[in-house]
Amino acid sequence: MNRFIGSALVVLLSALTVSAAVPAAITPGEEVLVEKATSGNHGGRLVVALRAEPRTLNPAIAADAPSREVIGRMIADLIHIDRATQATEGALATEWKRSSDGREYTLKLRKGIRFSDGRPFDADDVVFTFQVLLDERTGSPNRDLLIVGGQPVRVTKVDEYTVRLTMAQPYAAAERLFDSIAILPRHLLVEAYTKGAISNMWAVSTPAAAVAGLGPYRLKEYVAGQRLVLERNPYYWKTDSAKRRLPYLDELVFLFTGNEDAQVIRFQSGDSDVLSRASADNFGVLVRDQAAGRYQLKDLGPSLEYNFLFFNQNDLTGKNLPQVAVKQQWFSDLGFRRAVSRAIDREGIARLVYRGRAVPLWGNVSPGNRLWINTSLPRQPRNVSEARAILKASGFSWRPDGALIDRQGRPVTFTIVTSSTSAQRTEMATLIQADLKELGMGVQVVPLEFRALVDRVFQTFDYDASVLGLGGGDADPNGEMNVWMSSGSNHLWRLGQKAPATAWEDEIDRLMQKQLITLDYRERKRLYDRVQTIVAEQLPMIFLAAPHILVGARADLGNFQPSVLDHYTLWNVERMFLRPESRSVRR
Amino acid sequence: MTAVARRIGSSVVTLFAVSVFSFALLELAPGDFFTELRMDTRVSTQAVDALREQYGLTQSPAVRYWLWLQSFVAGDLGFSLAHRAPVSSVIWERAGNTLLLTVPAMLLTWTLALPLGVWIARRKNQWVDRVSSGVTSTLVALPDLLVAMLLLLLALRTGLFPTGGMYTPGAEDLGTGARIRDLISHAFLPLCALVATALPALVRHVRASVIEAAQAPAVLAARGHGISHSRITLRYVLPLAANPLVSLAGLSIATLLSASLLIEVVMSWPGLGPLVVEALLAKDVHLVLSASMLASALLVAGNLAADLTLYVVDPRIRA
Repeated sequence: MNRFIGSALVVLLSALTVSAAVPAAITPGEEVLVEKATSGNHGGRLVVALRAEPRTLNPAIAADAPSREVIGRMIADLIHIDRATQATEGALATEWKRSSDGREYTLKLRKGIRFSDGRPFDADDVVFTFQVLLDERTGSPNRDLLIVGGQPVRVTKVDEYTVRLTMAQPYAAAERLFDSIAILPRHLLVEAYTKGAISNMWAVSTPAAAVAGLGPYRLKEYVAGQRLVLERNPYYWKTDSAKRRLPYLDELVFLFTGNEDAQVIRFQSGDSDVLSRASADNFGVLVRDQAAGRYQLKDLGPSLEYNFLFFNQNDLTGKNLPQVAVKQQWFSDLGFRRAVSRAIDREGIARLVYRGRAVPLWGNVSPGNRLWINTSLPRQPRNVSEARAILKASGFSWRPDGALIDRQGRPVTFTIVTSSTSAQRTEMATLIQADLKELGMGVQVVPLEFRALVDRVFQTFDYDASVLGLGGGDADPNGEMNVWMSSGSNHLWRLGQKAPATAWEDEIDRLMQKQLITLDYRERKRLYDRVQTIVAEQLPMIFLAAPHILVGARADLGNFQPSVLDHYTLWNVERMFLRPESRSVRR
Repeated sequence: MTAVARRIGSSVVTLFAVSVFSFALLELAPGDFFTELRMDTRVSTQAVDALREQYGLTQSPAVRYWLWLQSFVAGDLGFSLAHRAPVSSVIWERAGNTLLLTVPAMLLTWTLALPLGVWIARRKNQWVDRVSSGVTSTLVALPDLLVAMLLLLLALRTGLFPTGGMYTPGAEDLGTGARIRDLISHAFLPLCALVATALPALVRHVRASVIEAAQAPAVLAARGHGISHSRITLRYVLPLAANPLVSLAGLSIATLLSASLLIEVVMSWPGLGPLVVEALLAKDVHLVLSASMLASALLVAGNLAADLTLYVVDPRIRA
């Protein structure tokens, strides 16, 4: 058997000079972007293992992570967030100007560049893209982002290479809105759009010639259940410092593995070259095996993800949930929430659940978000006696057997529901259960299938408390509007508010609205700092920990510069290259 | 002929019942395909509701079942919300990959089980029988998942076998011969896992059937006439032992298929397993329903084939 594999590999190695699309010559008048500090070598293939198969190649409707991971390498946006600096930079737009009232943006587009099928790009493609995304029939997850002040962003063509975007009100950091919004090829999609069939376009099995984008790679081949192969876009609009067209790598192969463990095994065995995000457990295993020097591993520090415990404070009118309603008397008591917060050992969670590869959290912004974290929030370590004092002051007492009881003599017991697919969150809930036992609280942990959990939290409200996680998108606070606005669809602890239920939620509403239209960063930061302070004081969510981003790549991969912003490893794939001495030697 | 028609008719009714039951179970589970979007902070409740409306999830269960059934009968097998494409376009290629594992696994299992079972039966109560009984009992008790994980660990630690997938990345550039060798090397461990999970029970069944057949009066009479062991086995014992084994063969495709789904997931084999697991987790109802129907159809077809075989070979059933 070994001989079979060996002979297969020999033939494979000899074929490693992949017959890929040759970079097209740069044409006169083509406004390429020169990546000044970039150098490398053309050629080779990079293999990436995905946890699941992408569901679509249509950027307008893609919502699942594997689809976005693949599509992200095939598309380009107008203005891009540099994952290394977290700041915006020109992409398909070479420059942009904001009007004095902050409501209008005029974007100059890159001239003379082409889609991956060789057809030219111009303002009509941009206007078409926004038309598609804003059309309700498309069902795009990006649509809500493009509704500003209750009105859709209006995009008009000024000339062939200039577009104007008009918003109903000033929008802070509007440039960040455009990150990852793929500009679509009008020539390929306009007919389907006119027929109302745009959302069914570009399934993964679509022939390669029918799919085009402005990203560094284009579709080459899809084999159901096995792999999706991208090849170099010969017309890509970026070059290296020597004016050689990027990307360096000929091909990008996505293998479908099915789950994280299989993904890690394929990386460990050398079948795949890049590991986009590993759990702390798997990372620990890889670290032990790293001595062989076959791959490089990087702990990038805290991610933007925040995990938290929250209690059900929803309005249960008409829900027939008397057992939850009774407990809501505790959950809506600030003293109760503060006591729970003081009793939780966040350091222990970071140490035990994440094997030390996480940071404890006292607010909703992770230390990974350098631009927006309020560093003045108090960090209160676990203090059980203080927690007991807070409970006592709130009218709770203890039975002789140590069980906590409320004013009516009812024992304080509740369940924490978690997602059964997230081992970490279930472990966090179990540690919280142990911590709260010391306060005399009886806590049950109930892992539920993810959809059942979401149904309870968002639909039926039939739960007491839950451990969930959010974040991981952009660093800007605007991405959190749905969480912190009292009317937001992710205002988890009390959904569907027509008017703010409390004075502090009202204040957060006003602060979030104000920061949304404030154009000055320092003033926005001040406003968002205040939001963080209120949240830390009122504890609608009890923040627990932010896990580190843990990634890896084969040792000979050049320009591998992972980031804490999604996509963690492949965001600069056009610059990655295989060092020549190793190109012909796959592990 | 009437019996055959009646048997086919009852198979169709069985399949219809399976589809209704599966649909009802999926309906009872909370949430739907778009529930997941509720955790996306970019997406409003209104947007999620609009998607539900657009894809017909707000229609009554009866209407949705009827629409699926129409599409199934028409050959599209429904519409996959995850893939935004007819189910038929995503299921057949993977079904082929699954059969690529299960058919050889079944052939291999029977090829090994028959001689092994007969050989052990002829040594009833000897040490060979006792050892084989211990080994097969242990293997029957081992969960399929554990067997697959152990084999995967072996592959990872020794580097002798691929750790998953169906081909080495880049194998598409190889010649036909090398590609086939690459495929065989990738299929080897999943095949071993399938055979290891199915073989022990089958060996025990063959042994039991052969021992029982060996007590039949005709066999005892033959033995009394001094006919050789091997002739008795071939001429009398095996035909007598065949009936329960033929029925078992009808079931074995379905048994191997269900084991295969799990092993495919663990070993990243691109068959129906990973597809069905993803579809179940995503609540992609039409895809799950059609995959269930496919598996049920195999089970029913296997049983039907076994019944027809018995009808042909056993005069007692025809009587």
